[in-house]
Amino acid sequence: MDSQDTFAALSTPHGESALGVIRCSGPLCPDLVKGIFGRISPTPRRTYVADFTSKSGQFLDNVVYTFFEQDLSYTGDPMLEISCHGNPYILQHILEDLVTRGCRYALPGEFTQTAFLNGKMDLSQAEAVIDLIKARTNLSFKAASQQLQGSLSRRINKLVDDLLKIVAEIEAYIDFPEEDLPSEGETAPKQKISKLINEIDQLSETARTGIFLREGVKAIIIGVPNVGKSSLLNRLLGQSRAIVSDKPGTTRDYIEAAFFVDPYRITIVDTAGIHQTDDEIEKAGIDKTLEQIGLSDLILLTIDGSQSPTLLPENVSALLNSETTLVIHNKSDLTQNPELSNFLPEFLKAEVSALTGDGLDFLKQSIARLLGNPIISDQGDVVAVSARHHSALQKASTELETASQLLTQDEPAELVASHLRDSMTNLESIVGRIDNERVLDKLFATFCIGK
Amino acid sequence: MMISNKEPFDVIVCGAGHAGVEAALAAARMGARTLLLSGNIDTIGQMSCNPAIGGQAKGHIVREIDALGGEMAVNADTTGIQFRLLNASKGVAVQAPRVQSDKKAYQFRLKHTIEHQKNLTLFQATVTSLLFKGDRVEGCKTNLGLEFFAHCLVVTTGTFLRGLMHVGQNQNRGGRMGDFSADSLSSSFLGAGIELERFKTGTPPRVLGRTVDFSELEEQPGDEKPTLFGFYDTRDETDLFHVEHFGETKLGWNPGENQISCWITYTTEKTHDVIRENLHLSAMYSGAIEGTGPRYCPSIEDKIVRFCDKDRHRLFLEPEGRNTNEYYINGLSTSLPFNVQEEILETIPGLENAQLMRPAYAVEYDFAPPTQLYPSLESKLVENLFFAGQINGTSGYEEAGGQGLLAGINAVKKGRGEEALILQRHESYIGVLIDDLVTKGTSEPYRMFTSRAEHRLLLNHGSAEMRLSHYANNARTISSNRWKLICYKTSSIKKWEKTLEEVRTKGGTIAEAIRRNEESIEYPPEFLKESHEIQTEVIYKLRYKGYLSREIKLVQRMASVDRIKLPKNFDYSKVRGLRNESAAKLSSVQPVTLGQAKRISGVNPSDISILMVLLESGKLQKLGK
Ligand SMILES: Cc1cc2nc3c(=O)[nH]c(=O)nc-3n(C[C@H](O)[C@H](O)[C@H](O)COP(=O)(O)OP(=O)(O)OC[C@H]3O[C@@H](n4cnc5c(N)ncnc54)[C@H](O)[C@@H]3O)c2cc1C
Ligand SMILES: Nc1nc2c(ncn2[C@@H]2O[C@H](COP(=O)(O)OP(=O)(O)OP(=O)(O)O)[C@@H](O)[C@H]2O)c(=O)[nH]1
Ligand SMILES: [Mg+2]
Repeated sequence: MDSQDTFAALSTPHGESALGVIRCSGPLCPDLVKGIFGRISPTPRRTYVADFTSKSGQFLDNVVYTFFEQDLSYTGDPMLEISCHGNPYILQHILEDLVTRGCRYALPGEFTQTAFLNGKMDLSQAEAVIDLIKARTNLSFKAASQQLQGSLSRRINKLVDDLLKIVAEIEAYIDFPEEDLPSEGETAPKQKISKLINEIDQLSETARTGIFLREGVKAIIIGVPNVGKSSLLNRLLGQSRAIVSDKPGTTRDYIEAAFFVDPYRITIVDTAGIHQTDDEIEKAGIDKTLEQIGLSDLILLTIDGSQSPTLLPENVSALLNSETTLVIHNKSDLTQNPELSNFLPEFLKAEVSALTGDGLDFLKQSIARLLGNPIISDQGDVVAVSARHHSALQKASTELETASQLLTQDEPAELVASHLRDSMTNLESIVGRIDNERVLDKLFATFCIGK
Repeated sequence: MMISNKEPFDVIVCGAGHAGVEAALAAARMGARTLLLSGNIDTIGQMSCNPAIGGQAKGHIVREIDALGGEMAVNADTTGIQFRLLNASKGVAVQAPRVQSDKKAYQFRLKHTIEHQKNLTLFQATVTSLLFKGDRVEGCKTNLGLEFFAHCLVVTTGTFLRGLMHVGQNQNRGGRMGDFSADSLSSSFLGAGIELERFKTGTPPRVLGRTVDFSELEEQPGDEKPTLFGFYDTRDETDLFHVEHFGETKLGWNPGENQISCWITYTTEKTHDVIRENLHLSAMYSGAIEGTGPRYCPSIEDKIVRFCDKDRHRLFLEPEGRNTNEYYINGLSTSLPFNVQEEILETIPGLENAQLMRPAYAVEYDFAPPTQLYPSLESKLVENLFFAGQINGTSGYEEAGGQGLLAGINAVKKGRGEEALILQRHESYIGVLIDDLVTKGTSEPYRMFTSRAEHRLLLNHGSAEMRLSHYANNARTISSNRWKLICYKTSSIKKWEKTLEEVRTKGGTIAEAIRRNEESIEYPPEFLKESHEIQTEVIYKLRYKGYLSREIKLVQRMASVDRIKLPKNFDYSKVRGLRNESAAKLSSVQPVTLGQAKRISGVNPSDISILMVLLESGKLQKLGK
């Protein structure tokens, strides 16, 4: 990457949309404004309407453009933003024209990287922007934009603060053996540590939710033939996408579609009914279903509530667990088979009628319950951590666990402190260096020390 | 021989306090022609505050000083009158020796050592200004108008620069009670562009033991078996003399014999009432003092205001020596007026009739913020000028001694064109101390705590020689004979570490039994024949093996950033993308390595990433040109 380059890219999603925005960043931007639009000194951050004519003199589009000066732009370098009509053909021509004028195509994430390198944002903000770009549903957008404003940092800083207090308490007894400190409480630090572990774990668990918010949820409907899988799909989508019939084996090909269960966007796949077979083609189909199950975050195992349960093949049921699987008793409008109450008791259940739509809300709630909820703080902040943060938090929590064990076993305090410190180092990897002075600040604020 | 001729010295040390003595001895021992100047050579190595050396973290520093060939450890041991190992119930890494020394004997022995040191000249003189040649120092001038020249100069003037003492509203000039204040030297520094700031510290009253009712007090005797600072299994016998046994070449007495006890008493509710009533008269509270004091040495008025729910505060009476009846009251530091101090004593059990011999007071003084120094302790602004001790914003004899030793070594190395000795954070407390000072500076008088050392477990006091003595051997601050013994000791320890991992006992190897912390372990008889030092060290290494290797891994990971060098005299405001605050901090500290940059507070991980990216692409180097 060279800061002397000017790079350009389409900053709205590819494909047809009402509007397409092209952004350029780099020293060439003032020349572009002059060359394309004939304006010599555009007022920064003001929007102008003008015709975009290519270097070869061809009219391409009537556009709105904005110029940003160095330091006050997103990347910190001079920038030009051009909003055009969203026709992919026009957008492509404009981009190509910019390249003939000396720009190059931007590398993935280069705008954010430049902004980061120019000190326009810190590491966790830069990560949040990348999430923001990917964000699809509303809440996900909120989570990403709040991380951008530091709600994650705030939360972790609170954890750091609590941890510092514990460290200070342990350190006081190591560093000031001559002081008249209150007798070493054996249980107090332990209680504080376990409280902290809880809070860290809670935060770290939002990682799964965080991924769901950012990436969306992959779901699959499975079950034996004719239980109403395709009907259920149609019901969830609110429209008839899959063919429904009373003949078993209706669905042959996968049908994929998307729907929302707030706050998640769920992509769902309808599959062919699973049954014992010797047919090679059908066997291949079942293998493919198995593969899809492995890739899914959510499995909707559908049974016909009015029939006796048919057991699934061993290799399918082995893939199911209560964290990802919801058992749906379909056809609740018909008389239910009482034997079914003992079917897969450890799984979350929902009764529904795909035919009438009864129980649909409860089904959606059950889905949301299974997927988990992001933490929404009192201030309405949405906190969901990324995979990197998740692993740092987990390590922090494990170190605390060990520290607490050592306390129980009456091991030397400096070993306890060593684990507490490692826990702190992991939190540092999220929010940046924690100055050691802060331990001493806490220590002197808590204890009366000195000659 | 005339010392006032123009023949320059290799090193001049200004101030014979704890820093100056170590600096001068180290330089002379390295073979450099050294001049030690001090305003009053009757107060060499005077303990301005309590007559005690060591304690938590400080005791570790003293052992490191010994491993590096310094004098403090042996001097404290041979003049010790009470010995205690602190944290004896805790792990070895945080155990620390502490000793009460005979204040006068301590000074006499140091003076004696200096007088007998080859290459070292001691002269009584107050330094009034420095002599510069361009942006280098070339010597100094004294109150008698004498000029001395040297290749390098080490400043160790302690609390004496524009020292101002407070007792209530009463103010007197002086670096400590009964001493002068160095008023003109400060302007020499300011003139050279070196910034100065004010700190303050305080000391408690001394009382006459004969007037104390000891029957009211709790006795605190010394340890039966003293833990000493010096490594006597490797030291030459000639090092071990006590000044009272002048001319004898071996330890004339046995440290730990005839120990004198300390005594414990407490403040009372009445004490607190007296203090609260008179708070407005305290120099600290009336606003007469502008310097910042240390949080870990609060005055008694501070303790009572900030911890008002504590109904009593503990006090120690520490004997000042064998040949005096004076006692130091540890815990009663104050800047209240003299008459209030007397009133306070009347409220304390055992001290009701105690006669005050020296009042408590607070002292304010100039210090030179240490971020103006390179890690070698050389000034960034004036070449060949080194600073050590309290003038760098630290507090404590041990902190001063450690810096003095390194400044002395590095001044000689500078003169010889050798690379400076910079101790790393993972190999010594002195390394942590100096790195903290030059990287972060300090907002209160800096004192060492073990918690400042992130690799504390690697820094147990018994391993100081193994960590550091090879540096001393290279610098020749220890004898070749001692180095031989250290090597031998080190290899024995390594050998036993291996052997005990292999020798079996019931339920596994001996090492495993040690890690399980078993009560009675059957060691091989030859192991039990080894010295106590070797046994303790081997057991420590084995017991904490997992932790120690974890620390070493961490250190190795960090070491890579500590090897990445940053350009010298670099203007970080040229780096676009650094936040202004970071650029300013980096420009003022001028970190030598990326690792040091990382430890500067206010420089965050993304600033470091930027530097890393620019360094890798070679752009930072280009910006420097
Ligand atoms: C009142 C008081 C209270 C203290 N309280 C504490 C405490 O509670 N805890 C603690 O850890 N530490 C305390 N200390 C600090 C401790 O005494 C010092 O940290 C330590 O002595 C510093 O060593 P040094 O070598 O830097 O300086 P010093 O021991 O101060 O020695 C400086 C030497 O330089 C000489 N000198 C000064 N100026 C000149 C000059 N211009 N020319 C020639 N010679 C000069 C002086 O004569 C002296 O010998 C206190 C000090 C004082 C004065
Ligand atoms: N009464 C009742 N009938 C239902 C319900 N849901 C589905 N059916 C009927 O059950 C039959 C099978 O429905 P499908 O949705 O095609 O079933 P499927 O599981 O997709 O079947 P295959 O694709 O063949 O495996 C159809 O006749 C549906 O009308 C329900 O909730 N109640
Ligand atoms: Mg179907």
